[in-house]
Amino acid sequence: MFSRLIGGSKMMLGLHRPRRSLVILPDDTFLVSFPKSGNTWSRFLIANLVHPDQPVGFENIHRLVPDPYATAKRDFDRMPRPRIIKSHECFEPRYPKVMYIVRDPRDVVISQYHYHRKCKKIEDGYPMEKFVARFVAGDTCPHGSWGENVGTWLTARHNHPRFLLLRYEDMVADPRRELARVATFLNIPADSERILKAVERSSAEQMRKLEKTQADQCGLTKETRKDLSFVRAAKSGGWQKELPEHLVAKIEDAWPHLMTFLGYQLVTRKGPVPVPEFSGLVTSGV
Amino acid sequence: MIWGLKRAVKYALGTDVAGRNLAVYPDDTFIVSYPRSGNTWTRFLVANLVHPQQPVTFADIERLIPDCEAMSSRYVKRVPRPRIIKSHEYFDPRYKKVIYIVRDPRDVALSYYDFSRKYRQIEDGYPLTRFVGDFVAGRLSSFDWGTWGENVSSWFYTRNGRPEFLLLRYEDMLSNTESELAKIARFLNIEPTPERLAAAIEHSSADRMRSLEATQGDQWVSTKNKRSDIPFVRTASSGLWKEKLPATSIAEIESAWGPLMQELGYQLTTIQGDSRGKVESPELVREHR
Repeated sequence: MFSRLIGGSKMMLGLHRPRRSLVILPDDTFLVSFPKSGNTWSRFLIANLVHPDQPVGFENIHRLVPDPYATAKRDFDRMPRPRIIKSHECFEPRYPKVMYIVRDPRDVVISQYHYHRKCKKIEDGYPMEKFVARFVAGDTCPHGSWGENVGTWLTARHNHPRFLLLRYEDMVADPRRELARVATFLNIPADSERILKAVERSSAEQMRKLEKTQADQCGLTKETRKDLSFVRAAKSGGWQKELPEHLVAKIEDAWPHLMTFLGYQLVTRKGPVPVPEFSGLVTSGV
Repeated sequence: MIWGLKRAVKYALGTDVAGRNLAVYPDDTFIVSYPRSGNTWTRFLVANLVHPQQPVTFADIERLIPDCEAMSSRYVKRVPRPRIIKSHEYFDPRYKKVIYIVRDPRDVALSYYDFSRKYRQIEDGYPLTRFVGDFVAGRLSSFDWGTWGENVSSWFYTRNGRPEFLLLRYEDMLSNTESELAKIARFLNIEPTPERLAAAIEHSSADRMRSLEATQGDQWVSTKNKRSDIPFVRTASSGLWKEKLPATSIAEIESAWGPLMQELGYQLTTIQGDSRGKVESPELVREHR
């Protein structure tokens, strides 16, 4: 009751986080991914692309590319339109325009493991075996399993003109090409110089530097362990060294079709895997 | 600002509608469907099955199986656990145990047409073909829960085939009520004795629900202040679309969701069987629990 009173007062002032009650506007674009799939890097890339005259950092990212779970409702209302909004939700039919970032789940699990250590949700020696089992079951975050999150979006929106699928691995390999795709999708007239600048300002080194000085001003990193960094390797394929084969198999057994469809080659399964054809599965309304 | 104030006070008092901000408990069971797919009938069947002491009415259905999109967060929170909750939500990963009811979208569209008139969202003479266009494109109030195809597929392709997910077709429930209700009973760990099933079916018959609606329609949250000349409990039948739906509208629905309809056993009449999008559904997203 008391917490509801405080919540109610905050609401009156617009200080609460809108979460799922966010009022969605027809010209909103959402930047969606399963957690630990390159969402924060993408937020920086996009914020730097859209606001070339403003330094982007951890202290203002929640206002530039806001998060309904971290940014106050008041800030949402005051934002200039069109807005670009960060999200980790599973399929949400009300999102009018979506950029979806997907990352190899074998790398996602490692990244999430280290993030849970940083957030003090697990201890340093927590068995990877146990964590992978929870990851596959969708019990490591409130946004479904990796397969549920990716699967619901692809089923409903793949090949839709207002849906852009980005692979984290492609972004790492050629960030300028992928950011150019984003610019086209957002109708931002971006010459190669503007794109190059955004990529440089969002580089892993730059973001690590910013994290060092601004970690206490950002909800992502505030009150987490400072001996572990939020910006980690910023690489793909780390699982090949870090993940034991039987755990790789666990993940590949959970989502063989989805992974194959996305171009994540399976290494523990013998024989071909039928690839789902998502186009035309559901003609969507938006 | 006034709107914000009202919302804030509602939140403080816990009288805000639970909806998608509902606090979910691990022992919850959900009855989920797209609107107008037999959800209310299923609620009656399940409530009568779980609480055989007294036949269920519209006056106590919200207490037994609350509607999380109509009742307040405080109300739903106070329902004794383990709760069974009614919902129309598209995929929500927090829902662990789900009974999902699916109905032929060609019948759903017709039913939703009458419902929209009852709720005064459209006028009586609104052209049906235009309405179906709105239905397919997601321009109706039901789009709060996605389009039919989005809602069904978001559950079907993630959860079908899993032990904690029971998929029922409204059409099977109509033609084979007893065996379908027995599936629900086993899913809820209730012994499906013939007497108990028969009593639940009897107390949830369309006739009984119609006469309850006639006397209690002005008290129930979903029919209160709506047009009383159009019933909420409609024909309780399947296949009406064959007579009532124009061919162009049938084609529109079938071309939007053909592959999904076929997978659910709804035969297409206007387009050839299309292999596009065919996948082994339980395999698409499979998890080991």
